[in-house]
Amino acid sequence: MNLKLLRLLALAGCTLPAMGHVAAQASPPAASVVESRSINDWLMRMHEASRKRSYIGTFVVSSGGAMSSAKIWHVCEGDQQMERVETLTGAPRSIFRHNDQVVTFMPDHKVVRSEKRESLGMFPQLLQSTDGRIADFYKVKQEGTERVAGVEADIVLLVPKDSMRFGYRVWTEQKKGLVVKLQTLDVDGKVLEQAAFSELQLDAPVKMDKLLQMMGKVDGYRVEKPLLVKTTASAEGWVLKAPVAGFKPMSCYKRPVTANPGPGDEPLQWIFSDGLASVSIFVEPFDRQRHERESSLSMGATQTITRQLDSYWVTVMGEVPMATLKLFANGLERKK
Amino acid sequence: MQTSELMSALADGQLDGEDFAAALHASRHDDSAAACWDTYHLIGDALRSSHGVRGADPAFLSRLNQRLAQEASLGAGLQSAGPSQPLVQDLPAALPPHRSEAANDGEFRWKLVAGFASLAAVAAIAWNAAGLLAPAAAPQLAQAPAPQQVVVVASPQGPVVRDARFEELLAAHKQLGGTSALQEPSGFLRNATFETPLNAGR
Repeated sequence: MNLKLLRLLALAGCTLPAMGHVAAQASPPAASVVESRSINDWLMRMHEASRKRSYIGTFVVSSGGAMSSAKIWHVCEGDQQMERVETLTGAPRSIFRHNDQVVTFMPDHKVVRSEKRESLGMFPQLLQSTDGRIADFYKVKQEGTERVAGVEADIVLLVPKDSMRFGYRVWTEQKKGLVVKLQTLDVDGKVLEQAAFSELQLDAPVKMDKLLQMMGKVDGYRVEKPLLVKTTASAEGWVLKAPVAGFKPMSCYKRPVTANPGPGDEPLQWIFSDGLASVSIFVEPFDRQRHERESSLSMGATQTITRQLDSYWVTVMGEVPMATLKLFANGLERKK
Repeated sequence: MQTSELMSALADGQLDGEDFAAALHASRHDDSAAACWDTYHLIGDALRSSHGVRGADPAFLSRLNQRLAQEASLGAGLQSAGPSQPLVQDLPAALPPHRSEAANDGEFRWKLVAGFASLAAVAAIAWNAAGLLAPAAAPQLAQAPAPQQVVVVASPQGPVVRDARFEELLAAHKQLGGTSALQEPSGFLRNATFETPLNAGR
């Protein structure tokens, strides 16, 4: 069974059992090829769906016992995408995204923050450059169908092949593959975090120019453009002595601190990813007053560890099990 | 029997034999049991008192909160509380002052304090179930102290400080660290939607 046939079947809206049946028919040596393409296929389809469908919906995130929601407008025109997110809980925020440009309005502080988020454009290259990498560490299992926010969705389980990462249960709307619900699962299969549409209006008439207009309305606001300096860990004198399986370094930034700017005070951020999960290592100078004790904290799917390393303070954060964070925290060292 | 139930029964004089001995042992050796014991006596005093309720010692309350939070995190395993509002609030000044005795005089006070007692009891039992903590802990009776920049959160390693810098790092991780196949749309939307409850000055 070749790739094209699989894609055709998916687009034709064939039911899930049929797809599973087709995949199972592949002979054993080719099974891993089919399987690795399957997971990449699913992921690519999810990614493409958001570039092709406009929608309006209400999105709810629950993590570690706390719940937040927001209203979402999403529109695609050609290869341009726009999104508007209005938070419904917590501090009022209006976030506009135009491709990789993100503008966040904070009406309570009368501040608007404008920044470019490189990582947002990175996915297709990520999939191509890493080739079978995601499939080396996760396998895909089909779990049936369920109705979410009024649409029929296929359920797919992304199962980690080792205990160093979390699993994911993804609901994708059957026609085009838009992700409508996502659960992050710990090593026991327990739900750490869930993000889902509670209502969804597909192919809604959202106007891009209207959103662009709103995005540009900064009168009365102080505009902040955070300075982000791209660098490499090596240039900054840091190295991870033993790589953590599956995680490749993606980027490294020096980020000026907004709260208390001071010379040499900017924490360095070194980012790793295995294709689905990411880990950030932050390094800053050790400050006896602030850095009282090493600790670890769980917030839903996000885990954090802090430790002192000579005259530095290291904070490691990621959506991975604590044991994996410990490998990063203990593996960091100064270049010799 | 749960520690809190044990202490409650002990305070009410409902235990005998083995249970009584076990409860006494717990009250002496288990910090959280001792804390429960103190709480129940405070409640009992309030219910029985005819002079209105003396506010609890704030230092005691903060120690109580810390111990109870630690008990919660031990019971809840990996999951930690969200930013914890103190679950045991100081009793409000709004409690009615002492009036001359009447047949149903204690009724209003009873209701207020009983409300507080049941909240504390419910909170104590609910802690052992992960994930019930943050939303359930908003007390209606008392005012929380003015929000501070620094929040101490319970974790398996003990209290962890979430200060402004921590929040910045968390935001930076969410914004830049999201190199993931699941980033679009759900990852971006998730990060945009979900603001971890304390948002200091961003």
